[in-house]
Order: sequence, then C-alpha cells, then structure tokens
Amino acid sequence: MSMEKMLANYEFEQWLYKEAQLLDDIDFDGWFSLMHQDLKYQMPVRINKEGTERPDYTTDMFCFDDDIDLLKLRVDRLKTDYAWAEIPPSRTRRFVSNVKLEGYNAEEWASVNSYLLLYRSRSTDIHHDIISGERRDEFKFEDGKWKLSKRVFIVDQTTINTRNLAIFI
Amino acid sequence: MIKTVKDLEDMTKSELLEHLNDTVKPEVGEIPAYILADPKVYDLEHKKVFMKTWIFIGHESEIPNKNDYMLRDLAGYSIIVSRNADRSIKAFYNMCTHRGMKLCRADKGNKSAFVCPYHGFNFKNNGDLIGVPLQKNIYGEELDKSTMGLTEVRIESYKGLLFGTWNEEAESLDDFLGDFKWYLDILVGRAEMEVLGAPQRFVIHSNWKIGADNFVGDSYHTMVTHGSIAKLGMVPSATYSKMGYQIHSENGHGLNLGTPNPDFAFPEELIEEYKSNLSTEQFEVLSNLKNMIGNIFPHLSFLISHTKVKGQLISNTTVRLWRPIDHDKMEVIAWFLVEKNAPEDWKRRSRESFVLTFSPSGIFEQDDTEVFTDITAAAKGPMPVIKNLTYNYTMGMHRKPVDFIGPGVAYDDKFSEANQRNFYKYWLELMNK
Repeated sequence: MSMEKMLANYEFEQWLYKEAQLLDDIDFDGWFSLMHQDLKYQMPVRINKEGTERPDYTTDMFCFDDDIDLLKLRVDRLKTDYAWAEIPPSRTRRFVSNVKLEGYNAEEWASVNSYLLLYRSRSTDIHHDIISGERRDEFKFEDGKWKLSKRVFIVDQTTINTRNLAIFI
Repeated sequence: MIKTVKDLEDMTKSELLEHLNDTVKPEVGEIPAYILADPKVYDLEHKKVFMKTWIFIGHESEIPNKNDYMLRDLAGYSIIVSRNADRSIKAFYNMCTHRGMKLCRADKGNKSAFVCPYHGFNFKNNGDLIGVPLQKNIYGEELDKSTMGLTEVRIESYKGLLFGTWNEEAESLDDFLGDFKWYLDILVGRAEMEVLGAPQRFVIHSNWKIGADNFVGDSYHTMVTHGSIAKLGMVPSATYSKMGYQIHSENGHGLNLGTPNPDFAFPEELIEEYKSNLSTEQFEVLSNLKNMIGNIFPHLSFLISHTKVKGQLISNTTVRLWRPIDHDKMEVIAWFLVEKNAPEDWKRRSRESFVLTFSPSGIFEQDDTEVFTDITAAAKGPMPVIKNLTYNYTMGMHRKPVDFIGPGVAYDDKFSEANQRNFYKYWLELMNK
C-alpha cells in the first residue's frame, strides 16, 4: 500500500469514528452535515438462500432507501415532540472496524468498506439489541471535505432483532 | 366487587377458561390486561386459535414459476409452499418422514425435489417420496414409499392471498372471510397485484394481539402516536384520521376506511383494469379512498396508505403478519404489494413510501412499536390479574350502525372501538370451542 493510500485509509477511519460519535451523541444535525447532496442511503433486506448462492440480500426491497430529502425528513421528524420511538433517545454505541479503502481518487472520490457493530440500549430494558453488518460507503470531495454520497448497509440478520430502525446505521 | 383470583399459573384449563369468560367482556367494552402477556393464555390461544383457523402464508405472486417454492410458518411449524409442474400450489410440513429432519432451509428458491440432509431421502415437490439411498440393498422389497409422502397442509387462496390451516374441519376460506371479501377485493383484487421483493422481518417484544387490535380499528391513536407525520405535512391534519367509516364482519374481521379523498390514490393508467375487477360500488369506494387499514382474524393486518412524499402524493399497499413467537414477543413480517401493470416509476415511488412509512425504519411503524412494547411489559405477571386491571373499549357504544354501500356493520366515522370488541368477541368464542 502506498503512503498516500495509507494516509487516506487513516483519514476515512477518522471520518467514520467522527460519524459514530455524532450519532451516539444524538447530534443529528451535525451528522446530516456530513452527507452529500447525491446521497443514496440503503439497507437491503437480507435473505436465506440455497447454499452459497450470492448475493444473499435483495436488490428490490430495503429497510432504508433514502435520498438526501428523505434522510432530512427523518432528521426533522426526530426533532418534533412526537417522535416517540426515540423519546427518550436510545443509548447507542457504534463500533466501527475493518476499515478498508477500496477505491481512491485524491480530492475527488473514494470507496470504503467497514464493519459496524451497533449496541442499543433502550429505556430501563435490561436486554440490549445488537445490529451487526458491513457498510459499503462512497464519498465525494466537496468544499475541502469528504462527504458521504452512498451507503449500502448489509445487515447480518434476516429477521432484525430490534423493535425498529428509528436509529441510523 | 373484585373477587380474589388464583394465580393464572396455578389454574387448570377449565379454571382459566372460566376466568377468561368472567373477565373478557367485549359486550360492555372491558378487556383485561393479562390476556396480552400471559403464557397460559398464549398456550391456549395457540391450540384454540392458531391451530384451528386460517393463517396467512403468502401471496401467489411470490412463487410465479413452476417449481418455485417458499418457506413459511404455519402456527409455529415450518412449511414448504411450492408451485408444482401443473402450476398448482401445494404445501407440506417441512419435515422428512423418515427421521424428522428439516428438508429445506432457504427462504425461497426453485426446486422440483427436496433432499433430506440426514439420510438423503428425496421428495418431489408434490410430496411424493421418490428416492431412498441404497433402497434395494438395505430395505429389500419391503419399503413402501407411497406411505411415506410429506405431510400435506390444507391451503386455500383468495385473490392471490394464500392461507393454510392444520384444521381439516375448518370451514372453507371463502366462508371464513365471508362479507369481508368485498373489502379484500379493493385491497388485493382491484388489479393484478404482485409482491415486490422479500418481506421485511423484525422482532418486537410485544404480544401479537396488540398489533391486530391496532390495525383492526384504532385510528384514534393516529393523532398522537403519529403526530409527527402531520407536523411534517405528509397528511392533511392531525384529525384527518377520523373521517370515514369503521366496518366489521363476522369472525372478528374489521377495517377502517378513510374517505373522502379529493385525489385518486392509485395509478390513473389502470382505471379500466380496476373497473373490470370491481363492482360499481367497490370502484366508487376505491375512487374516494384515502386509506384502508384492517385485520383479517387473527393476525393478518393490511393497509393502503396515501401520503405526500417529497411533495408528491403516492399510495402503498401492504399486508403484515404479527407472528407470535412467545406470549411477549412477535415477528412482524411485512409484504409490499403493487399493481403488476403500474408504471415502473409509480412502483418505485410506492415502494419508497412503504419503506419510509411502514418498514422497520418506517416513520409511522417505529412509533407504534414503542407503544406495543410498553403495553406488553405493563400487562405482565400476577399483579394485573390480582388487581383486575382492564382496558376501556367503550368508544362508540352509544352509536348506531349506518347504511353503507358495502356489507358488514358500519359506523360513519373511524373513531369507534366496535371493531376491537368484535375482534375479542370472536377470540373468546374460539377460546371456548
């Protein structure tokens, strides 16, 4: 790996850590400012297939299928007094690892894969929810900053074991 | 006067039934809390409701081609639903008749035969046992394969909706749905409908009846639970949910029909197809439909929802099962349906509105799940029994039904609990059978 790629890999690791912190700190406006206008934010439904047949997720049904406008709508909704699903907000902790730069054009475009382990604790529940999966992200460089232009989250469960996705992945 | 009751745990089956009959009183609008979180009630309803009645298992369009199959759950038992070479659909218990191993583990696929992973017994998708490894060598001429076919499941369908039952004595699906079919025609018979994509699946720590109760007649909660949607301008006003009719029919089925609607909620290109599939009266209802939300007893809920997404009106049609996993846990399985002949862009926008509003990330759905979870938690354990905690279901008891263009018992706005009373009345009837 060239020095340039190593530095870029480090840069995106830091980007993802910062994103995780913003979400875990319930700073949705701060998080939203990391998004690019061209955003595609998708989470396909995972399915059980015969043997090793791939892909084992659907390409025509999603748990999230947002563009920038719909994501904005979600963020705005969470700020109304009626977004009961997250009143009070869940305690979340996003563990990001296995960050791997897949494609890179300096100050232009990048593609980065990473793993996400999301811990969620709600209210007084003594049980917790875990969401695990792989993020396939793409970034565009704009105004001197990397912005997320595409995220496909491949979740590791076919039946999602949390009451809702009122949280972001 | 509250009489002292035994702990439900210590009751015999007949004592439990007696207690249910004493405390579940839909006729006066009183439903006890414990039935939403008690393991004994849950066990009894599995035998008396889920093993006896018709249970939704999928839509015919999910297995369109010869030898397509899908794996589904029927009252806690895995079944293979398969389209045979003659295009008929058959269903079998997913268990090898030799030693009981599960034959199939994929959600769906295309196969004309299933081979058991244990000893390699091979079953055709019409249920016949067609191959046994080393048969002649180890069984000689003695093994009669014709007696070892897969256990067939009784299935019937209505307008593409497939149902199964373990009860050979159950009335026909047609009779079970009865008058309610008139409304199901609008839901899934208005045009050729297809399921798009795989169903969404997620788990809520909630009793299944809360979902059914919510969809069968509770439009009242929309103003508050879904207050955020009106704030975002996706629906006209917080009180829009009152306008329309509440309708129920025999066997616990019920729906709320939101009307009028100044806009046509469906693709205009298909008006001729709708007209050819619906009666004049049904088409009139469709033309003025703002939303339609209901429940086919026991736990198949459905929804047509017409909202504004990114400034553009769009509707989506879904059905969902509140599949019981335990007394305090259910899997929600939600299918998205769309007109097969709708323009591709309309299909895409309709799916987008479904994902945004009623998938696990749905901005309607997620607030419901919070409520369902907390209600279940509050109904648990001996205290609600000892204290005789009950819910009030008296809304609309002072009102008289009105004449409506379709069948069933109709009230002229949606804020009533007549449908929930009708649901629990039939539930109690089955528990006693």
